[in-house]
Amino acid sequence: MNALPRPSTIFLAVITTLVAVLLYSPLFVPIVSSFFTISHGDVDWSSPTLSTYRALAENHDILAALRTTLIVGLCTVVLSVVSGTLLALYYHGRRSGRSILQFIIFLPFLMPPIISGLALLIFFREIGLERSLLTVVIGHTVFVLAIVYRTVLMRLQSMSRTLVEASYDLGATGWQTFWRIILPNLSSAMVGGAILAFALSFDETMITILVTGTQSTLPVRLWAMMRLGFSPDINALVALILMFTVLLCVLAARFLIPRQMATERS
Amino acid sequence: MSAGVTTQPAERRLSLLVTVLAFALPVIFVLVPLAIFLVYSFFSVDQGTIVYAPTLGNYVRFFTDPIFLPVFWNTIVLCVSVAVICILLAYPAAYFLTTLRGRWRYALLMLLLVPLLMSYVIKIYAIRSILGLNGFLNKALVAIGILQQPSTLFVFNMNAILLTLSLLLIPFAILPIFLSLERIPQTLLRASDDLGASGLQTFLRITLPLSLPGVASAASFVFVLAIGDFLTPQMVGGISGFTFGRILYSQFGTAYNWPFGAALSVALAIVVICAILIGERFGRSRGTSV
Repeated sequence: MNALPRPSTIFLAVITTLVAVLLYSPLFVPIVSSFFTISHGDVDWSSPTLSTYRALAENHDILAALRTTLIVGLCTVVLSVVSGTLLALYYHGRRSGRSILQFIIFLPFLMPPIISGLALLIFFREIGLERSLLTVVIGHTVFVLAIVYRTVLMRLQSMSRTLVEASYDLGATGWQTFWRIILPNLSSAMVGGAILAFALSFDETMITILVTGTQSTLPVRLWAMMRLGFSPDINALVALILMFTVLLCVLAARFLIPRQMATERS
Repeated sequence: MSAGVTTQPAERRLSLLVTVLAFALPVIFVLVPLAIFLVYSFFSVDQGTIVYAPTLGNYVRFFTDPIFLPVFWNTIVLCVSVAVICILLAYPAAYFLTTLRGRWRYALLMLLLVPLLMSYVIKIYAIRSILGLNGFLNKALVAIGILQQPSTLFVFNMNAILLTLSLLLIPFAILPIFLSLERIPQTLLRASDDLGASGLQTFLRITLPLSLPGVASAASFVFVLAIGDFLTPQMVGGISGFTFGRILYSQFGTAYNWPFGAALSVALAIVVICAILIGERFGRSRGTSV
C-alpha cells in the first residue's frame, strides 16, 4: 500500500500510537504501583520498592484463590482438550447432523456469558448439583470447548488424507493409526488449544461469578475485593500475571502458527 | 474417522461410546440448560418461591413497565456507540498495520492484542482509577487547560461505561478489520494506481468497500461483548449508569426473581442473535467471516 502520501501515513501512525497508549494505560497503572507508592494520584518515583511482592507472598487469601484458579484451569484444559478432540475427530468428515451439533458447541462462546452462566445456574439447581468447583469447571469447559474443537478440527482438515490411507495400506489397525499417525499430527494443535483454553479459563469472570460456590477463583476474589479497593500487593500479583500471560501468548503463537508459515512471514 | 475399518469388538465399543458422547455432551451441557432457561421465563415468583405454572406475565411486565424498555433501548444505543468508537480507533490502526512489512506487521498486531489477555477485572479497576476525580485523565485535561478543575464527568455515569467498554474492546475490533484489509489483493491497489487514481480515491473506492465485511464483523463482536457485560457497568456506572445487563444480574441477586431474569435474558439473546446474524450477513460477502 505505497499509494498513500506521507501526511496520511503520519496520521495513521499517530492514531495507532494513541490506540496502543489507550490499550496499555490500564496495564501500566498496576505495574507502576507494584514498584512505587502512589498517593492521591501522584506517583512517588523516588523510592522503588519490592515490599508489595513480599506482602503478596504472605497474603494467603489471594494465594488460595490463585491455587483454586490454577486447579480449575487445569481441570478445564484436560476436559476440554479430551472432549474437544473427540468431537473434532467424530464430526470431521461426517455430514449428517454436524452443522447443528457444531452450532450447539459454539453457542456458549457466542452468547453473552451472562446467558450461558444463568442457564447453567438454573440447570445445576434443577438437577440438584450444589454450586462448587465442579460446577465452575463444567461452566468453563462448556465455554472454552468451542475454541479447542475449532483448533483441532482445522488441523484435521489440513491433514493429508493419504497419511491415514498409507497407514491402513501398511496393515495398521484403526487403533494403531490413531495413536501413531493421527494423534501425533494433532498434538501441536491440541497444545495450542490447551493454552488458549487455560488462558480463557484463567480470566473467566462472568460465568464463574454465577456458578461458583464458596471457593472462588482469582478474578471473582478480585471482583469482590474491588468494591473496597485493593491492597498494594494485588498490584504485584497483577504484574506477575501479566508477565505470565505474555509468556503463554508467545507459547500459543509458537504452537498454533505452523513453522513454515512463520518463516515465510518473517 | 476410522468407522468403516474397525473390526475388533473393543474398538467398536469405543466408537459407540464416542458416538454417544459426541451427541450427548453438547445436548446435555448446552442445549438442555438453555431450554430449561427458556421454560423458566414463563414461570413466576411468589414470595420468594418459584411457581411452576406457565404465564406470559414476565414478558408483559417487560413491555409494559416504564423502567425496562427505556433501559433496554439506552443500553442498545450505548453498545452501538461503543462499537462505533472502537471501529473509529481500530480502523486506522489496522490500516497502519497493513502498511508495515513482514515481521513488524505481526509484532505490532500482537502488541495491540496482548492487552486482551490481561485480567478483565483489573483492567476495569485501573480504568476507573484513570477516569476518577484524582485520575490521570482529569490531571491531563487540567494541565492542558481544557478543564479549570477536575471533573466528575468521567466516572460513575453512562460516559464512564462508554469509555471503559470502548477501551476494553478495541482489540476485538482491530483483529477482524486487519484480517479483511490484509486479504485485499495488492494487484487491485496497483491497478488503481496505474489507472491514475489518487491515494484517497484508491482508498475510498477500493480499500474501504472491500474492508467493510471486516468492519461489520468487528461491529457485531464489540456490540455483543458490550451488551453482555454486567461487570463494567456495575463497577464504573455508579447509580445513574444503569444498563440492561445490570438489571438482569440483579434479578438473580438482590431482586431474586429468576423467572423474570430469564425473560430479560431471552430479550437480550434476541438482540444478540440479531447482531450476530447482521455481522455474519455483511461480514461474509468476501469470505472474511472470522
